[in-house]
Amino acid sequence: MAEPLIRIENVEKIYRRDQIEIPVLMGINLDIPEGEYVALMGPSGSGKTTLLNLIAGIDQPTRGRIMIGGRDIATMKQTELAKWRSHTIGFIFQLYNLLPVLTAFENVELPLLLTPLKKAERKRHVETALSIVGLGDRMSHYPRQLSGGQEQRVAIARAIVSDPKILVADEPTGDLDARSGDEILELLRRLNEEFGKTVVMVTHDPKAAARAHRMVHLDKGVLHTDELTEAGVGRRS
Amino acid sequence: MKYFRMVWRNVFRKKLRTGLTASSIVIVLTLIVILASLLQAMQADPSGGRGANRLVVQHATGLGNFLPLSQRQRIEQIPGVVAVSPETWFGGVYKDDKPENWIGQLSADPDIYFDKIFDDATIDPAVNEEWKKTRNGFVAGQKIAEKHKWKKGDHIILKGTYIPLNLDLVYIGSYNAGDETNIFFHNEYLNQSDWILANKVTGIYYIKIDSGENVPRVAATIDKMFENSDAPTKTLTEKQFQLQFMEMMGNVKFLINGISLIIIFAVTLIVANTVAMSARERVTEIAVMRTLGFGRGHILGFILSESVLMSLLGGVLGILLAKFVFIPALVAGGNKTSISIWLVNFKVSPETLALAFVVSVGVGILAGFVPAINSSRLRIVDGLRKVV
Repeated sequence: MAEPLIRIENVEKIYRRDQIEIPVLMGINLDIPEGEYVALMGPSGSGKTTLLNLIAGIDQPTRGRIMIGGRDIATMKQTELAKWRSHTIGFIFQLYNLLPVLTAFENVELPLLLTPLKKAERKRHVETALSIVGLGDRMSHYPRQLSGGQEQRVAIARAIVSDPKILVADEPTGDLDARSGDEILELLRRLNEEFGKTVVMVTHDPKAAARAHRMVHLDKGVLHTDELTEAGVGRRS
Repeated sequence: MKYFRMVWRNVFRKKLRTGLTASSIVIVLTLIVILASLLQAMQADPSGGRGANRLVVQHATGLGNFLPLSQRQRIEQIPGVVAVSPETWFGGVYKDDKPENWIGQLSADPDIYFDKIFDDATIDPAVNEEWKKTRNGFVAGQKIAEKHKWKKGDHIILKGTYIPLNLDLVYIGSYNAGDETNIFFHNEYLNQSDWILANKVTGIYYIKIDSGENVPRVAATIDKMFENSDAPTKTLTEKQFQLQFMEMMGNVKFLINGISLIIIFAVTLIVANTVAMSARERVTEIAVMRTLGFGRGHILGFILSESVLMSLLGGVLGILLAKFVFIPALVAGGNKTSISIWLVNFKVSPETLALAFVVSVGVGILAGFVPAINSSRLRIVDGLRKVV
């Protein structure tokens, strides 16, 4: 059987505040094959965002291994990890986190500035990403001139512009109305199905989770259940 | 360059705050350029270094005492001495006591003055010859001649102050030199004063030496020669002679440098506060950029660049204001005051521009360093946590 794209082995995460140790994740084991769409669910404080941050390489586990594409990212140095993130991970935040001083085009272009691409090539990539999310006509708009749903779509364009294998989304619909939320979930589905992106999404919303192939429940830092959704069952059959 | 747009926009994200901070830098840099230029003007060598072969002999106790004219012949005998011109500061009043009518008035020996002593000054040979022949003639620096609109043949009256004599002088022509605020007239004409005749004295001796390497020896020989006489001497290089006027005002250089350092330190704190506030407000954005793959070095570079850019913008504006507005205004206004002599060379030199540029960049780097380091060390998860 092929190695999964994401393999989490016996991962523990313990935060230290002064002398007190706060265990956030304990003995997590999880495999996510390439092209899968996984929803991480659980109550507040269950450790789902921490797990997402570990997968995205923006936090380090206290113990255990996080293998992504066969590489243990827990052993990477900061500089190496930053470079790895820039071409492997696309991060989508709950509050979009666009840079307010940059236009939609410039926000999406940001990750490409780290690549050796020339200006014309960057422009082509940005235009493609923005047209995928349906905002080809809003390129020169600043975040303050966009609606919440549009801002999140720009954030998704920023996440996919460097063509990463993995998209991690932390409650991407948490700050949106139902209709905009639906559009974002549909976009994530398309990115997963049409563009083959592996999506790991943290959500509180069971409807949003139902769009994924798998629902992984965490509770008090422990992986509680890991089950296929209807979409997942349909995909396997 | 691909990051410049972002850095630029971040600098102007809070326009009022940036404007106020940049204004403080403008004020400081304007002040620095003015003070540095003034200091340079006061220390300037009007001959531009060409006076290195000239010595000035004054009374050992200071310029308030005169030297006997008999010393001239003895000085002329010293090997290495090319020419000796007695020179006396007349210090008379031209027209009235108003500062704008202040003129440097010096007697000299016209037969050798421009030919042998001040051979780096430029004077029309015809004017020089006519001056030599005209006992009551005077030549003036072009700047002062133009200021008073003197034409050939014009008479001026100088009312003596400490020398009891009024001079009626005829304008012959002008010369060009580093310092063009003086007029020169014949020693012989000054000698009509009973007081000068009776005492047979001169204020100083201006001496030309054949080569730079003989300058220390000749200076030592002169002072040794008159050490035990009624009029002991103090022989100085031209540069030292000019600097002593500045020293009369106290340690101006120390004062100016001290003030400059204090205001630079103060503005560095102001800029540092602005940069720190700006970075603190953008903790989440910095964390997002790190998430996108920007490294610590990038963040350090961005924050430092913002600080340097802000400082540089203020600095450049300050330099331009000093150079094109304040210094010309001060020169125009100062010409009517007693400090007009110091304003002859009051201009912004390339060295001062370079200094101001270095100060601007330096303030930016110093002010931005700590906020930049702190921002670059920010843990991504801590930065993102501030969002939720």
